[in-house]
Amino acid sequence: MHNSSQLKNEFIKRWVQGLHLYCSSKKEMNLLERKKKIKLSADIALASARNSATCWSKAIISKAKKDEGNTNLVNNLSRLESKLMYAHKKVTCHKRIRSKKILMRSCGVGKKMKPRHGSNLPTCVAKRLVKKRTQVLKRLVPGGESMDEYSIIKEALDYMLSLRVQVDVMKNLVNATTNLN
Amino acid sequence: MVNFICWLLVYQKHQRKKNILVLFVGFFSTFLIFFTFSQESQMSLQDLRNDTTSFDPTVTHDDFLNQLLSGLQPTVSWSDISAAGAGDGQNKPTLPWDVDHFDDHSAFLSSKLRQHQITAAGASNTLKSLQLPRDFASAGDTALFQNDVIDGSFFNGFAGSLTSGQIQQFRNLSAQNFGAPGATAVSQVQTASATAGGGGGGTPSQPRQRVRARRGQATDPHSIAERLRRERIAERMKALQELVPNTNKTDKASMLDDIIDYVKFLQLQVKVLSMSRLRGAAGATVAAKGGDGGGPASSLNNDTTTVTENQVVKLMEEDMGSAMQYLQGKGLCLMPISLATTISTARCHPSGSRINHPFGGGPCSPNMSVLTVQSANGVCVKDSP
Repeated sequence: MHNSSQLKNEFIKRWVQGLHLYCSSKKEMNLLERKKKIKLSADIALASARNSATCWSKAIISKAKKDEGNTNLVNNLSRLESKLMYAHKKVTCHKRIRSKKILMRSCGVGKKMKPRHGSNLPTCVAKRLVKKRTQVLKRLVPGGESMDEYSIIKEALDYMLSLRVQVDVMKNLVNATTNLN
Repeated sequence: MVNFICWLLVYQKHQRKKNILVLFVGFFSTFLIFFTFSQESQMSLQDLRNDTTSFDPTVTHDDFLNQLLSGLQPTVSWSDISAAGAGDGQNKPTLPWDVDHFDDHSAFLSSKLRQHQITAAGASNTLKSLQLPRDFASAGDTALFQNDVIDGSFFNGFAGSLTSGQIQQFRNLSAQNFGAPGATAVSQVQTASATAGGGGGGTPSQPRQRVRARRGQATDPHSIAERLRRERIAERMKALQELVPNTNKTDKASMLDDIIDYVKFLQLQVKVLSMSRLRGAAGATVAAKGGDGGGPASSLNNDTTTVTENQVVKLMEEDMGSAMQYLQGKGLCLMPISLATTISTARCHPSGSRINHPFGGGPCSPNMSVLTVQSANGVCVKDSP
C-alpha cells in the first residue's frame, strides 16, 4: 500500500526520537523496565505517526498521557494536537456511544418480537457468536469499547495495518543491531 | 354475476378458518379495490359491496378510485368473502382461476387471498396496519398505484408474522398470479426475519400492478438502511480477510476469530521485539497462547503470559538450563527462531528443517501464535500442542 512505507518512515523517525530521550537519561534500568520503555515509545510513535486520525491512536496517546511519568515523552512525540482536543474527542466519543445505547434501548422496547417457530434460531445463534467475538475484538483494539459494531471493524483494520508496520520495522531494527553485534 | 355472489355466500358457510378477524376493513377494502384495479377487473366492486346484483363493467378505474377515496364503508360481507376466499384457497389445491382470463372470479379470489393473508398478518401486527391508513390517506391518486411501496411496507412488517399455512396459501396464489416476483417474495417471506431486513431499496414496478417487491428491492427506508449497513460491514470484512494471512474463511464468526487471533499475535510480537532490542543477557522469550486455535478465547490471558514471560527472562539471565526446565514444566518448548518465523509466515511448515524438538505439526497460521525473539542463543518458546 502506498501509505505503509510512508507510515514506516514516520514511525521510525518518532521512535528513534523517543529512544533518544531515554538514552539521554542516565538512569540504569533493568531488563523489564527497558522493555516497557521501548514498547511504550514504539506504541506512542506508531500512534502519533497516524496523526491521530483513528480512534485507537487517540486512545493510546490519551492512555499514555494519564501516566505522569510519560508526559515528557508524549508531548515530545505527539506535539501535534493539544491536550484539549484529545480530551474533547474522547468525551464526545463516549457521549455518542452512550446516547446511541440509550436510543437503541428505548427503540428495542417497542420492537421486541418473539422468536418465530425456531426458524430464526440459527440466525440468533450466529448473531450471538458474532457478538461475542466483536466484544473480544473490542477489548483488544485500544479504545475499542466505545465503538459500535460497525466502526470497530474499521478500527481493527487500521490497527492491524499499523501493527504490522510496527512489527516489520522493529524486526528490521533488531536484525540490523544483531548483525552489527 | 348474481350467481357469483351466491357462490361466494355458499363458500362463506364452508369457511374453515375461524380466525379471520374483522379488522381495519376500512383500508382493507380500499386495498382490495386497489388490488382489483391491478388485476384490471371489469367488476364493479362498489356494487358488490353494497350487495347489489348489477355490475358495471365499463366503469373506469379513475371513477372507482374517486368513489373509494371518498369514504368507503365496507360491509360484513366483504370480510366474509375474504374468509370464503381463504377457505377456497385452502380447499382447492388447483387454482380455479387463471390470470390471463381476468374474469371476475379470478380477480375476486386473488384479492380475497391477498386480503386474507394481510388480514391474518395484520391481526398480529397492529402497528404496521395502523401505518397503512396513514399511507393511504397521504397518497394521492397516482401514488396509490405504487403497489409495491405498500407491498414492501406490508410484507416487511408482516413477514415475520405469517404462519406457514398462510405462506403455503400465498405460495399457491403467487405462483399463479405473480410468477417470478411472487416466488422471490415468498422466499423472502420465508427467510426474512421479523425486522424489515428482508428487503432492500429498489425501483418500483410499473404502476397499476400489485407486485410484491423482489428480494433486494423493497423500498422501505428501514430495510434500505439495513441493507446498506450490512453491505458495508461485508465489504469491510472482505478487506480484513485480505489482510489476515492464511485465512480462507467466509463465515463472519470464524473471520472474526481469525482477526482476533492475528491482532493478538501482532501485539505479542511487538512486545517480544521490544524486549529483544535490549542488549545483555539472553534476549527475551514470550510464551505463546494455546496453539489449537479452536477455543473461544486464548486460554492464557495477558496476565499469565506476562508472568511467564518475566519469569523466563529472569531465569534466562541466570542460567539457560533452568529457564528451559521452567518452560518445559509449563508445557512449552523451544525452537529456532528462523523456523518459527518461517512457520508463522509460510503456509506449511518446512518438512525438512532441522527441528530441535518435536512440536507436532501445528497449524501454520497466526493461530499458532508463536512469538520469537532473536536472542543470543536464537531460541524461542512455543506452545507444544
